[in-house]
Amino acid sequence: MRKYRYVKSEASQHDMKLVQLGAKVEQINSKMCYVKFDIEGFELAYVYNINKKGKYFLERIKPYPLPMREFKSESDVINIIKIDLEQFKNAVNSRNIDAFVTISTELNRTIKQFEDLFLYYNVPKIETQIIMGKISEIQKEIANTKENSERVYFTKDPDNL
Amino acid sequence: MLHNHVLVAILIFSLTYTAIISEKINRTVIAMFGAVLMIIFQVISQEHAFGVVDYNTIGLLIGMMIIVNILKKTGIFQYVAIKTAKVSKGDPWRIIVYFTIITAISSALLDNVTTILLIAPVTFVITDTLEINPIPFMIAEILSANIGGTATLIGDPPNIMIGGATGLGFMDFLMNLAPVVLVIFVVTILLLKVIFKKSLQVKEGNKNRILDFDETKTIKDKVLLIKSLIVLGLTITGFAIHQFIGLESATVALFGGTFLLLISNIDPEEVLIEIEWTTIFFFIGLFVLVGALEEVGVIGFLAEKMIDFTKGDLVMTTMLILWLSAIASSFLDNIPFVATMIPLIKNLAAISSINVTPLWWALALGACLGGNGTLVGASANVIVGGMLEKQGHKLSFMNYMKVGFPLTIISIIISTIYLMVFYI
Repeated sequence: MRKYRYVKSEASQHDMKLVQLGAKVEQINSKMCYVKFDIEGFELAYVYNINKKGKYFLERIKPYPLPMREFKSESDVINIIKIDLEQFKNAVNSRNIDAFVTISTELNRTIKQFEDLFLYYNVPKIETQIIMGKISEIQKEIANTKENSERVYFTKDPDNL
Repeated sequence: MLHNHVLVAILIFSLTYTAIISEKINRTVIAMFGAVLMIIFQVISQEHAFGVVDYNTIGLLIGMMIIVNILKKTGIFQYVAIKTAKVSKGDPWRIIVYFTIITAISSALLDNVTTILLIAPVTFVITDTLEINPIPFMIAEILSANIGGTATLIGDPPNIMIGGATGLGFMDFLMNLAPVVLVIFVVTILLLKVIFKKSLQVKEGNKNRILDFDETKTIKDKVLLIKSLIVLGLTITGFAIHQFIGLESATVALFGGTFLLLISNIDPEEVLIEIEWTTIFFFIGLFVLVGALEEVGVIGFLAEKMIDFTKGDLVMTTMLILWLSAIASSFLDNIPFVATMIPLIKNLAAISSINVTPLWWALALGACLGGNGTLVGASANVIVGGMLEKQGHKLSFMNYMKVGFPLTIISIIISTIYLMVFYI
């Protein structure tokens, strides 16, 4: 009970500070769920939140952080995790798994660097065009690689490819 | 058989009490477990165990918790705190004075823990802004919460329990305790000024940052605020007249709580989930434990011993209860202590010709004010200690006691004079 009271006190302080910054703050009672799988020593973890307001959040936190697609009801989250798990079980047996995790982590880091670049510096237009061109190159490379690679998962089609 | 029941009852009660004091096991769990053991070992029947639970106390606590849980959603407490901080123009000592007044008044109308949970977060934001150590502010708020709570029937759990057991009403508590509480509060504030004044230095720039706060942003739902304040006003009026219209205080609180639930359009689950059920079940467990002890005659035996010790002298008995309650409540949870003392005083009334009314006020003053003695004396103190630690400001047991204990002794001396002059 005492720890819960500290949480409430902390939440009240956040509420007050954010309201003074101009935010509209709504505190929602919810269940925060941490989910962990151990696939032959490879750790896969998620965090998701279910609540009565119908606002749901799911994020994969390991092997690298990634917001997952939105889901309409709390029951959908199990299907999303189930598919993700099946795909990672396949991927773990692949000899490219280490490269896959490294590339995904680097892409995440690149997004953060890009954000810092634009938020901390006045970037010349020519540089933004160069970066855009490099991103197009990567996207084309991913599309080409897809054409030349054997599909191994068929339960559902890719969401972004 | 009966002799065995006495031994079993004393054993279960002592072990449970020890476990509560040790804080090694959750107090609610151990109180409920001890209560169930009393039934299993047939010290008290299940039917009688349910009968000894004081539902007036339970109903009053639940009713007020419902009202507060809805009221706090409106942002009114933040509004009042920011408004007063701005009126003080960022002067730390004036903020302490205003916040302690808010805390004392709120604590008289709500329970201490709730008051602290409402005022502490605002205080941390203000002290962060002023870039000043929050410890003097928080010590002042602990003291004023416990002092303010002493003034009314609904201000502190010991008073709620005394009211529930004796039929003494809201106005009885207000008329008999508020005058001395007011004196104690003023003396405490004056002494706090002497203790803390030198440590409250802030930069002028930080004072101006307080003026940038916008209190109007804190009100989240104006309609709900108006409804809540009307219901709170009705409830307090109900407390003021409940004895004259033949209603128990729990009925008034539950009317206020359920009426506000009805008109607020808030999901009742959102409100009821915030009720401190662990506290409610702790009370239920204690009532059964003490009821079982009374059932087997232990409380009556202790009352006889007390009469033998004091020779039935009212002055000595009153002083014994006042000072014993104060010292015990400084170091122990005052709720189980008061739960045990209530049937003891009732037994005193039954076996002697003593006028026990001053004893109830002595118990209320001792148990409530005694909570200020140490950092573990009351739930509000423990919570503030934890909050400060989490904020990176460690308030040690001794550092609190250096301020809290002498001020407690002074408040009990004032109470002693008050009881001697007006009641004995």
